[in-house]
Amino acid sequence: MLIEILAEILKITVLAGLTIAGILAVLIWKKGLATKVTYLRFVVQAVSFAAIFYIFSNPIPLLYVVGVIFIMPIFLGRFFCGWLCPFALYMDLITVIRKAFRIRHRTLPDKLNKFLHNFRYAIFLFFLALPLVLYLIDPPPTLDFTIALALLLAGPFKPLSVLLGPIITLIVPWVGPLEIGGIYFSYPYVQEIIDYSAEIGLTAVNLGQILSIVFVVLTVIGSVLLRRVWCRFCPTGSSIAVVNRLRGFKWAPVLHLDKDEEKCTKCGICKRVCPVQVTEVYEQKGGKIATSMCMLCFRCVEMCPYEDTLKVNIGRKTIFKSRNWLKPSESE
Amino acid sequence: MSNQSQDKKYMPEIPQKEIDELRKSIKATSQKVMADNIARMKKTSNNRPEAMQYFDEVADFFGKREKEIRAAKEAGKKVVGYMCLFAPTELILAADAIPVRVNSGWYDTAKLGDRVVPVEVCPVIRSTIGAKMIGLSPYLELSDSLISVLTCDGQTKLGEILSDYKPVWSMPLPRVKDSAQSLRFWREEIMTVKKQIEALTGNKITAKKLRSAIERTQKATKAFRRLQDLRKGNPVIMGRDAMLVNQTYMWDDITRWTEKTEALCDELEKKVTGKEWVCSPDAPRVMVTGTPMIWPDNWKLPTLIEEGTPQGVIVADELCSGERLLYDPVGVDEWSMDDMFNAISERYLMASTCPCFTSKDGNEDRINWLLNKVKEWNIQGVIYYVIRGCMLYAMEYTRVKKVLDRINMPVYYLDTDYTREDVGQMKTRVEAFLEMLAARIDL
Repeated sequence: MLIEILAEILKITVLAGLTIAGILAVLIWKKGLATKVTYLRFVVQAVSFAAIFYIFSNPIPLLYVVGVIFIMPIFLGRFFCGWLCPFALYMDLITVIRKAFRIRHRTLPDKLNKFLHNFRYAIFLFFLALPLVLYLIDPPPTLDFTIALALLLAGPFKPLSVLLGPIITLIVPWVGPLEIGGIYFSYPYVQEIIDYSAEIGLTAVNLGQILSIVFVVLTVIGSVLLRRVWCRFCPTGSSIAVVNRLRGFKWAPVLHLDKDEEKCTKCGICKRVCPVQVTEVYEQKGGKIATSMCMLCFRCVEMCPYEDTLKVNIGRKTIFKSRNWLKPSESE
Repeated sequence: MSNQSQDKKYMPEIPQKEIDELRKSIKATSQKVMADNIARMKKTSNNRPEAMQYFDEVADFFGKREKEIRAAKEAGKKVVGYMCLFAPTELILAADAIPVRVNSGWYDTAKLGDRVVPVEVCPVIRSTIGAKMIGLSPYLELSDSLISVLTCDGQTKLGEILSDYKPVWSMPLPRVKDSAQSLRFWREEIMTVKKQIEALTGNKITAKKLRSAIERTQKATKAFRRLQDLRKGNPVIMGRDAMLVNQTYMWDDITRWTEKTEALCDELEKKVTGKEWVCSPDAPRVMVTGTPMIWPDNWKLPTLIEEGTPQGVIVADELCSGERLLYDPVGVDEWSMDDMFNAISERYLMASTCPCFTSKDGNEDRINWLLNKVKEWNIQGVIYYVIRGCMLYAMEYTRVKKVLDRINMPVYYLDTDYTREDVGQMKTRVEAFLEMLAARIDL
């Protein structure tokens, strides 16, 4: 028992150590101010990847994980999407490979991008409504709160696991869809695709496997063409806007982006570098940037060439701000 | 060659003898003016930085740099002149050509320009026409081709008039910059000019070359901004010296200019630690904004400010011959050809605060930038400088004045022309303003 606890503590220490070592390494190694945060983000994403694997390997109820993912955005905005989500890490890595081949990325028309952003709520509601549909088709003998909850959480259409879809690590500590040499591999949403296909009952043609492969190929090609393609309509990232649109909750986002109107020359860099094509940072005149599209990846703050124009604030404290990135980095 | 192509559409036929005489006399005056200006700059400034020596030399239109460009041309390099800072210098550099800005600051040639265009036209335009008439400006003469960006009315027609002599590539500029279609349009223009530059030089602009060119101008921007930042504190460099440094960028070799500017900044930083100021730290801190002031002749306003009693010091400017030239970097996200062109188009179109733009909020970027500069550089007074005929700057004055009044910033509208006759009258006006500023500071 004691050894197990010690082992757990050791794992957490190793993770923390890796984070600190990674961040320090980037700070010392990367002198260019225009890419420093991008490299830092990779470190955080990698550690988060390991941490999520670690969480999965413990018998922690997934409900808690969902709870954290949905409560955190109320205060931190979509920081999770920008810095912690494993699916985002895969897309960012594909971007790195694409850049290495000097392939250009595409952009969506702003209108379509906004439409996709709002479409995420439709997807979100669709999955929440599925158990209800099931209930109507095949009503259980007795209507009971426990049964309803069980249907919602663990019924054949598991909305919970759909919401956890993007945070599935590539190697999973359970029986995953693909086994090579005793290690189970997975990919975001693939397990759900297989389960749903089985539910529809077309197992004879291996529908689940075919659809999974199609999904993987589509998302890979998609992220070669568009940066952060899935983040544009991912249903998991939908919670924040709902809260922020309610009156009286303006205080809620503790972590937010601020813009100084006078210092901005509207040079357009922030708009161009944004991986999900947020236009509000550019269009809004000043003050707190209010959009649920922003994933707080801080790429715009990093690339803004005018000092103090864009600021990342926690409460009233500025933790990061735009600066003249042409200057060589001063040791931090 | 058919006769038609040699027909000049605008320029008058002047006998060669007259041209030679005019050039000789105006060149002599100009050389005198340049030497005189530099001598006065040396005299006014205590502890003038040693590194200014280099810029004094490069500032000479008929000196070292002219010979250098001439030699480079003989070695096969091409020279591309441009008349507005919207011309993408990165592309010219990437094609291994030499970019030079050819707007003219000569007073005497403005009178010659009157033979082609009426006297109401902006003197920068008249002077450039006059300079071309007599072949005065070595950089204009050495240019193989000119990029004319259609910003104000004057620049638009100037390109047309100069096409009597040289191939001119016109780049129409959208007047509303804040829209996707404007940016698309401007990007197409940049792509067109890229092809023209490639055709002229015979060098293909590859991703590698373009990246190297962008990195060179980024380094120049870095040095430039370092110099501007040093002017935020107590004066370590006179405004005229800094303005001269800025202007030499227009024709100097960019890499060497960057090195020399960095060296200058190193020296200035030492002066900051040693508290060696170039003039009294109590001298009123002035910002000039408005029509470009171009070396060598149109140096009268900065001279009057910095040699006046009480002495003022120019710590910032919002001029397209000064700060706007280089302050904004080309911000490349990914080093693909596509993104580099996006970055170049955005840097030239969107970051600019030229008064030729408007939007649903008017030219708000310029207003915001002026407010920001006033605060960042601790400005105590603004001189709004307009030369007669410069409609766009003149028309924006009312709005700028209102905004600056709101933050209690004295602003003075000073209008003049390309002439030496009004120096006495201007001196009275400038000194009255400086005295008022000094009195405000004392309070």
